[in-house]
Amino acid sequence: MKHIVRTAGTLMASLVLATQAMAQDKPEQIDVGVFTFTSGAPAAYGQPGAQGAELMVDLINAAGGIDGVPLRATIVDEAQGAEGVIAEYRRLAGETSYQVMIAALSSSNCLALAPVAEQMQMPTIGWNCDTHQLFLDQQLDYTFRPNGNTIPEFVAYVAYLLQVNPDIERVAIINPDYAFGHDAAEIVKAAFRAFKPDVEIVAELFPSLGASSYQTEVSRLSAARPDAIFSNLWGADLENFVRQAQPRGLLTQSQTVLALGETILQRIDLPDGVIVGMLGDGYWLTPHAQANEDTVAFAEEYSNRFGEYPVFPTMKMANSFMVMKAAYEAAIEANDGEWPSRDEIAAALEGLETATFTGTARLREDNDGYVDQVIGVTGPSETYDFSVITNMVRYDGEALMAPLGEDPIAWIETLTPEFLETLPEPGSYN
Amino acid sequence: MKIIYALFAAAFAALAIVPFAAPWLQFVLTIAIAKGFAAVGVALLLRAGLISIGHAMFYAAGAYTAAFIVLWSGISDLFVLLIASTLVTAAIGALVGAYLVRYRAIFFAMLNLAVSMVFFALLSKLYGITGGTDGLRVPVPTVLGTTLTKAGFDIVLFYVALALMAIIAGLGVQFLKSPLGHAVGAIHTNEVRLEYLGVSAWSVLLIAYTISAALAGLGGAIAAVSIGHVLPEYAYWTESGHLVLTAVLGGIGGVAGPFIGSIFLEIVHTVAVGVAHNAWNLIMGATLLLVIFFLPQGLYGLVTKSADKTSSAKLGENKS
Repeated sequence: MKHIVRTAGTLMASLVLATQAMAQDKPEQIDVGVFTFTSGAPAAYGQPGAQGAELMVDLINAAGGIDGVPLRATIVDEAQGAEGVIAEYRRLAGETSYQVMIAALSSSNCLALAPVAEQMQMPTIGWNCDTHQLFLDQQLDYTFRPNGNTIPEFVAYVAYLLQVNPDIERVAIINPDYAFGHDAAEIVKAAFRAFKPDVEIVAELFPSLGASSYQTEVSRLSAARPDAIFSNLWGADLENFVRQAQPRGLLTQSQTVLALGETILQRIDLPDGVIVGMLGDGYWLTPHAQANEDTVAFAEEYSNRFGEYPVFPTMKMANSFMVMKAAYEAAIEANDGEWPSRDEIAAALEGLETATFTGTARLREDNDGYVDQVIGVTGPSETYDFSVITNMVRYDGEALMAPLGEDPIAWIETLTPEFLETLPEPGSYN
Repeated sequence: MKIIYALFAAAFAALAIVPFAAPWLQFVLTIAIAKGFAAVGVALLLRAGLISIGHAMFYAAGAYTAAFIVLWSGISDLFVLLIASTLVTAAIGALVGAYLVRYRAIFFAMLNLAVSMVFFALLSKLYGITGGTDGLRVPVPTVLGTTLTKAGFDIVLFYVALALMAIIAGLGVQFLKSPLGHAVGAIHTNEVRLEYLGVSAWSVLLIAYTISAALAGLGGAIAAVSIGHVLPEYAYWTESGHLVLTAVLGGIGGVAGPFIGSIFLEIVHTVAVGVAHNAWNLIMGATLLLVIFFLPQGLYGLVTKSADKTSSAKLGENKS
């Protein structure tokens, strides 16, 4: 009896070993799951991201793939809701050819996928979700975010606004009515309390996602006579708001800050002098990006294929592919040329620092990322027939992040007006 | 009729081997069964001729109750969660129902919709309590004092859901045969006659409404621990519409109908998303149209029809 048990045990063990060895053989093809919105209103961001993924796969494959293995992306639509997204993630993660997922656009999907990634031990790269809650109070070993998050992003806008306009006293906020908008409002208010405590918030408006009319909000904002208006509206909402606010002179009456305004520059003629930016450093026209011939080539090819230049969700997606490629290569090298397992790729992602199309992405101990923050004001372009971002500044990503393990909002409150003097000047990055 | 039981037993056995035969389907089916409970609740009201376009609120109430119990009290036993969520949702259902069951037809549908959207708004706006649109994380529950890994827990949950489905289906069949079950149907056919028989339509409907809410709550609690995250979108009106669609598509003729509809819809959804990320909505829509056009009795009608055909064919053979 003992003998049979032992034989069975050996057999099982060798079976397990065999499957492990098989998983580490060089595959015919690398599959990667890419989670983004391809339908519904958020597709205004998701589609440029999906197109960026499509182009990146073609470019990587044209250059010989990853260690000679071609790449194939499976796009998954996040518009189907958390249940569908998780079901699809599980289905793809069940196949051994998938070793990395690039997910997701929506913060709620990233939060919902994080425990699934841990469970299935699947390295997951957050390509756009930027809630600071993601790594708060939880240790995640398989979720990585080589991107900025809401804290450095929105602290940076307050810093820039006060650097160019130190005298402002009255500020209005108009953000979308969901966690992203409310989080940003909290961060912006905390940053004002730290940098210029006498600033008064004269209006705080949260129009619902996908609202068609912003006339009431525009009236409220005009009547409140703020010195500055901060907004992190995005996608179609932002475009809609700007189209309705512009004829009524709102954008010129107050110093307007459109935190995610980069995506509408090619679509709307914004007046000069509006503070615009993106999440992170993903602007294809920064000095860093323009000095990198791969980035220039990517932007040109993107424009040829899709009829417009990339926007920052495109660049964030492309950068996430570069992080994934760097992790694969580091894992292969650490493995003496053998094909890595999922765990080995996750190990390679730990603390990874890699050059991207628009700068550098660096992962810190908790797997959250340090990415620089670029901000500027709208201005005319000599080359393009749309407004570009001028008078830019590039803030160091690490300087604007709460130290590891500290509550981010409490950390912002500890900052002082002197902190602004340590930051580079607007216009120092052109 | 025996053939139909054999069919169900075979389908049940097929479901039971899913975790081994197709592990990726296990999560899809857990969710399908969870939504199936809510759809049975909707179907129960449909038998009374009432459409509720707001039942996702009870589904979400069950899910959030489970989340709150784990996060606030620290009690995390699966069975405690399922029972408590069902009871809390039943209480909410009785409360809301006491007011809503006075209405009929479009007014009932619209008021359900209105209440559910108020509930949705509360879930998304009470940021400090519900986590807003980012929702709340639900840790992996324990099972009778045993701490399991998430993978192990998922398998247990799948079989618990499967067993509950069989139990609810059995109880449901008995309920429909009971005087109360017939009274629910009588509200649709002739409410005045029911009152003349001395049965209070209001009480009958309130009981039916409470049961239907409790079923949705049970489904929501299963979904919450399976997904590990609760979101306000569970209560959104499109989810309510989805539940009505599931019930109608599956067929309201029997308790099995909504479960069949739910499993069918979730599998079509998964296949459609896998086949075409750009056109999955279109595939779903086309499938629904086909079923509605060609199977007015729902998928359950197809099952009973084929079962009837076989049995009558057999009868014919015996006669000759």
